[in-house]
Amino acid sequence: MMQRKLSVILENKPGALARIVGLFHQRGYNIESLHVDPVKDVENYKDIEELLNITLKENEVSRLIITTTVSDTLLRQILRQINKLIDVLIAQEESK
Amino acid sequence: MKLPGNDILIQSLLNEGVEYIFGYPGGAALHIYDAIFNQNEIEHILVRHEQGATHAADGYARATGKPGVVLVTSGPGATNAITGIATAFMDSIPMVVLSGQVATHLIGTDAFQETDMIGISRPIVKHSFTVESADKISEVIKQAFFIASSGRPGPVVIDIPKDTTAPDKLFDFVLPESTNIRSYNPPIEPEIKQIKRAVDAIIDAEKPVIYAGGGSINSNASEELIELNKILNFPVTNTLMGLGVYPAEDIRFMGMLGMHGTYQSNMAMHNADLIIAIGARFDDRITNTPDLFAPHAKIIHFDVDQSSISKIIEANIAITGQVKNSLKVLIDELNKKTNMIEHSKIKPWLNQIDEWTDQHGLNHELYKENSDTSSILPQAVVQHVYQITNGEAFVTSDVGQHQMFAAQYYHFNKPRRWINSGGLGTMGFGLPAAMGVKFAFPNDEVVCITGEGSIQMCIQELSTCKQYNLPIKIININNEALGMVKQWQDMNYGGRHSESTYQSSLPNFVDLVESYGHKAFKVEKNSDLKSTLEKAFSIKDELVFVDVYVDPEEHVYPMLVAPNGSLKDMWLSKDKKV
Ligand SMILES: Cc1ncc(C[n+]2csc(CCOP(=O)(O)OP(=O)(O)O)c2C)c(N)n1
Ligand SMILES: [Mg+2]
Repeated sequence: MMQRKLSVILENKPGALARIVGLFHQRGYNIESLHVDPVKDVENYKDIEELLNITLKENEVSRLIITTTVSDTLLRQILRQINKLIDVLIAQEESK
Repeated sequence: MKLPGNDILIQSLLNEGVEYIFGYPGGAALHIYDAIFNQNEIEHILVRHEQGATHAADGYARATGKPGVVLVTSGPGATNAITGIATAFMDSIPMVVLSGQVATHLIGTDAFQETDMIGISRPIVKHSFTVESADKISEVIKQAFFIASSGRPGPVVIDIPKDTTAPDKLFDFVLPESTNIRSYNPPIEPEIKQIKRAVDAIIDAEKPVIYAGGGSINSNASEELIELNKILNFPVTNTLMGLGVYPAEDIRFMGMLGMHGTYQSNMAMHNADLIIAIGARFDDRITNTPDLFAPHAKIIHFDVDQSSISKIIEANIAITGQVKNSLKVLIDELNKKTNMIEHSKIKPWLNQIDEWTDQHGLNHELYKENSDTSSILPQAVVQHVYQITNGEAFVTSDVGQHQMFAAQYYHFNKPRRWINSGGLGTMGFGLPAAMGVKFAFPNDEVVCITGEGSIQMCIQELSTCKQYNLPIKIININNEALGMVKQWQDMNYGGRHSESTYQSSLPNFVDLVESYGHKAFKVEKNSDLKSTLEKAFSIKDELVFVDVYVDPEEHVYPMLVAPNGSLKDMWLSKDKKV
């Protein structure tokens, strides 16, 4: 078990955040901290644009940073569950 | 073209090929109901309880593979639909639920019949939408149907504030032909590298088992599975949700596995050196204690949902993609290597499985032995129904012992014929689900095998069956108890039957059903069983309910020993454990 930082890029739509927070509760994972901002500096997201073959506009998506303490296997499972949410573009472990 | 929101909604549903809406009206949905009144292309089916609407739509979806459509009003209409939505969610069934909502300007004010449907349903939907304005309706509907039926299917809720369907404001709209959701790209084709690894593992296997579940039905992969096993000749087991995807008649079919699976299926899984899981999710009813599960097996896991792979049991070879497509690629790759597949290698394993079957397999001839003087065995009831319907009926079921007997003793040779709530285990599912199936297949035999406990949870739908003249056959396996609860109390609670019997308060089912305007028979003696069932099935144009009083002491076996057991630890009868 160790503390992880997850970064989630999701559509900036009503209800999208609640789905992620709800998923943590529903699956029995704990959220230690959570921070969310609309993405304004889209130029810093070139890698994600390339990976998903999309173009981002200012304020169109939000970036969520979640910290949680979990094992490797659980982390993989959480990321898969978050990635499955329809409004989520990508969820990854934040590289240190 | 300009139309008001309520008509745009109907046009959008027609654009998706919707034939039936199962629903129940109320204030917040009245604009929509007015639009339904003014057209005749979609038939609305008026149920008697919103739970019935969801199960009927669900039954329709399971039998056809197309999304079932539900329409309910806000507040209590929406909350009554929750059990059915959760049922569909747990079994990955495509469904679109339209829920009326109070007008946009009233949301958040605790208005009359306001509930936060999006919030309440969030953990049990694949996705949900709130309609923001009438001009968004056609796109929302397109996306909802796409999400519900693609990837791993599931229910989608669309909350529709009343003002967005007002008849007096016209909007321009287009019916989209397709949709693209940039954040949603369910996998389709498998990674060829993984398929090649699977081929190598398959060639090496000496004790292989194919374990196929509901996902292989959702993906319509039955043909591919059969073709695959023409090459491999591996033993096959199905989950409760997978029954029918591989023909039960086939010599390699071992029956269901898991909690009430056959001895040979559970033993084969436990002792396997290779498990090929196809659209199955290693549910706790299958694995028993996960740490003790199949200790020697390498696992190849095919699934469309990556989060299902290695969730409970670590897969050695993960193959993410539509199961149907993945199996096609696997078949192609195997065909290139047919010279390397030695059928003789698995011969001792097949012999071992035959031996297990001979030792403790289910007795499929019980109905012949169940004599006139003894009390009726529930298993024999199912066997008779199987014989009379030539194994070709659609069979829906509820939850309990009767459900397990139906799964064990009705043999399904085709997918989408066995319709039951596996994941959530929802009592009350069977009758409304049978209605949905009957609408989809009016010329086929549709049988609901139920229990006197379960049937009372949605019995009001008998009235719907009258209104739409649905000649379903209902076989009530009446053990005068919540039999499955009682069985667990017998096994694990020293026989203390806490609240699992009704103290002679059961209704007279024959009178009850007749008062709804249907036919009903009661069977108490073995000597009447076969003839009464035959009589019931000979009546083609009416719903017939057969209330069969069976031996209340009967248990479902095999039964996995739990907790702390593995798949090889089973009760085979009340006093025999292996
Ligand atoms: C809605 C709901 N409530 C409770 C249960 C728990 N439960 C599972 S089986 C069962 C007994 C079902 O009785 P009956 O329908 O008569 O079937 P039997 O086991 O007697 O064949 C109960 C109460 C459930 N599955 N669903
Ligand atoms: Mg009962």
